[in-house]
Amino acid sequence: MNLRIAWRNIWRNKKRSLITISSVVLAVVLATFTRSFQEGTYELMIENAIGKFSGYVQVHQKDYWEDKSLDNGMELSDSLIRTILSTQNVEGVNIRIESFSLASNKNNTKGTLVMGIEPKKEDSLIDLSNKIIKGAYFNKHDKGILIGSKLAQYLELDVGDSLVLMGQGHWGNTAVGIFPVKGIVKMPAPNIDRQIVFMPLKTAQEYFSFPNGATSLVIKFKDADLTQKICNRLNSRLDTTQYKAMSWQKMSPEMLQQIQSDRISGIMMLNILYMIIAFGIFGTVLMMTEERKREFAMMIAIGMQKTKLAIITLYEALIMNSLGIIIGIGLSIPLVVYYHYYPIEMSGEMAKSIEKFGMEPVLPTMISFKIILKQALTVLIITIVAAAYPLWSILKLNVIKGLRR
Amino acid sequence: MSIIQIESLKKTYRETEVEVHAVNGIDLSFEAGEFAAIVGPSGSGKTTLLNLIGGLDSPTEGKIVINNTNISNLSASQIIDFRLWNIGFVFQAYNLIPVLTAKENVEFIMHLQGRKKQEREQRTKDLLTSVGLGNRLNSRPSQLSGGQQQRVAVARALASKPKFVLADEPTANLDSKSTENLLDIMEKLNREENITFIFSTHDARVVKKAHRVITIEDGKVVSDERK
Ligand SMILES: Nc1ncnc2c1ncn2[C@@H]1O[C@H](COP(=O)(O)OP(=O)(O)O)[C@@H](O)[C@H]1O
Repeated sequence: MNLRIAWRNIWRNKKRSLITISSVVLAVVLATFTRSFQEGTYELMIENAIGKFSGYVQVHQKDYWEDKSLDNGMELSDSLIRTILSTQNVEGVNIRIESFSLASNKNNTKGTLVMGIEPKKEDSLIDLSNKIIKGAYFNKHDKGILIGSKLAQYLELDVGDSLVLMGQGHWGNTAVGIFPVKGIVKMPAPNIDRQIVFMPLKTAQEYFSFPNGATSLVIKFKDADLTQKICNRLNSRLDTTQYKAMSWQKMSPEMLQQIQSDRISGIMMLNILYMIIAFGIFGTVLMMTEERKREFAMMIAIGMQKTKLAIITLYEALIMNSLGIIIGIGLSIPLVVYYHYYPIEMSGEMAKSIEKFGMEPVLPTMISFKIILKQALTVLIITIVAAAYPLWSILKLNVIKGLRR
Repeated sequence: MSIIQIESLKKTYRETEVEVHAVNGIDLSFEAGEFAAIVGPSGSGKTTLLNLIGGLDSPTEGKIVINNTNISNLSASQIIDFRLWNIGFVFQAYNLIPVLTAKENVEFIMHLQGRKKQEREQRTKDLLTSVGLGNRLNSRPSQLSGGQQQRVAVARALASKPKFVLADEPTANLDSKSTENLLDIMEKLNREENITFIFSTHDARVVKKAHRVITIEDGKVVSDERK
C-alpha cells in the first residue's frame, strides 16, 4: 500500500517528476563526463610524456639527476644489466645516452636534446617508427638521425638534409658532427617535438666520445601501478653508492603537481555543479512538500503514524532518484567509452594554448567504472540529503495548522 | 454510560498580545448512539472543540476522557494510534488521498490497522454501498463530486470501527441537495447501526436533522437541547 501510494504520487505530477528524474540523470552524466575527461587527459599526458617516452622508472648514476651532464653518466657493465633484468616484474631495459646540443642549419640555431637509443628496443616502447611522418626509421648502425617535426619546421630541414650538431662530450671533449636526417617524427608531447633528435646508441656514443657510456636506463614493465614497488626493489638490489632508480613522479614532479592542482580545480568546478543540482532538487522537494502539507496533516489526523508517512515520501524520493541514477549511469557508460576511443580533437586557439602546456590537443575520456560509481554515489547522497527535508517537515508537522490551510 | 466526558475544558490561543479563549470552560458528555450537532456562529469555537475531542489539539486546561482514557495523558504517537482505533474523522474538504481510488481510500485506514485483506475488501464494498457509491469503487477523488467525496469520507471514517465519528462542518462545501443526501446517510447509519456522530455546522437545515443541538458562543455552551 505504501509503495503504491509512493508510486502513484510520483506520477501525480508527471512533469515535475520527470524534471526531477532528468536533473538527476543530467547530474550523473555531467559529473561522470567531466571527471572522465579530466582523468583521461591526465592519463594521456602521462602516457605520452612518461609511459611512451621517459618510462615509469629509470636507473641513473646516483648524481646524474642533480646534474645532468655526461660526466655523471655511467659505464655500462653486464653485471649491472643482469641485476636489473633479474629484478621481479622487470621485463627489459633500454639504454639511452642523452645530452643537450646546439643544432644549426643555414641561419637557424636551436638547442636540442640529443638522445642515443637502441633502435629496435625503443621502437617497442616509444613506438617511434609509427610516429614517422616522413622518411624512414633507422637501424642499429645507422649514422642518420630522426628529428621532431616542430624542430624540423623551425630549422627548415627535410629528409635527406644534413644537420650540424655541436655540444659537450664526455670529459671535456667537444662533440661535433654532421648527420643526415633520415626521418621526421611527430612526437605527441609538443615540448618534446620541438627539441628532440634521436640517433642510434652507437652513433651517439661516438658523437659524445663516450664509448660504452649511458646516462639513463629505462626500465620496462607492464603495470604502471607497480612503479613505486619496482623502484624500491631496484634500489634494494643495486649498489646505491653508484646507482639510483627513480620513479616518474620523482623525475617529473612538475607534471604530477600540474595534474594534482588541475584535478583539484576540476573537482571544485564539479562541486559547484553539485550545488546547483542540490538546490534544484531541493526546490522541487520543497514545493512538493508544501503542496502536500494539508494532505499529510489529514493522514496523520485519521491515524497514520508520522514515521509511516515519512517512509512513503522516502520511497518516492528513492524511486525517483535511483531511476535517475540508473538512467544516468546507463547513458554515461556508452558516452565515456565512445569518447575514449574517439576523443574530442581541439583546434585553433584552444589547441595552441593546450599545446603550450606540453599536452596533446585531444581530450579523451578515461574508462573507469570507479569514476562513474563515485559520481553516481555522490549524486545519490545529494538527493538523499535533499529528500531529508520532507521527512523532517513531516516529523515536525503540526496537524492543526496543516488542516487549517 | 458516556463515551466522551469533557470537564472544564479550556483552550487559549496566544497570538502576539491578544489571548483568544477559543474554548472557555466547557463541560459536556456524549453517550453512545448520539447524533449531535454543535452549532454556533463562525469563530465561536466549534472547530477548536472538535479538534480537542479528536485529540488533534491539546487543551490548555481541563480534561477529556474517552472510554476511560484521559487522552491528555497519551504520548504523541499513542494519540495517533488512539485516533486510528477509536475516532472516525470527516473534515470539511480534502478528506481523501488524491492518488487512491474511493475503494483504496476506505481500505487505507484498515490497512493502517493491519486488518486482513479479505476483511478489508468486504467491508469496503459494504460501506461504499451503504453510502450509495457501490458503483464508484474505482473512481479517484478528482472524478467524484464534492458530495460523493464526503460520502467516501464517511465510509472511510466508519471503516476503522470507531467509537464515534467527528465531522467538522462536513457540508460546508456542498450544495443543498448533496447536504441533504449526506445527512440522510449519516442519520441512517446512526439509526440502523447505532453509529455515534458528533458534527459541527452553522447550516439551519443540518441543525434540523440533529437529535441533540449544542449551541456555543464565545467558547461556552449556551444551550444543550435534546429532541
Ligand atoms: N491556531 C489558532 N491560533 C490562534 N487563534 C485561533 C487558532 N485557531 C482558532 N483560533 C481562534 O479561536 C476562535 C475559535 O475558532 P474556531 O474554533 O475555528 O471557531 P469556529 O469553528 O466556530 O469557526 C476564533 O477566534 C479563531 O480565530
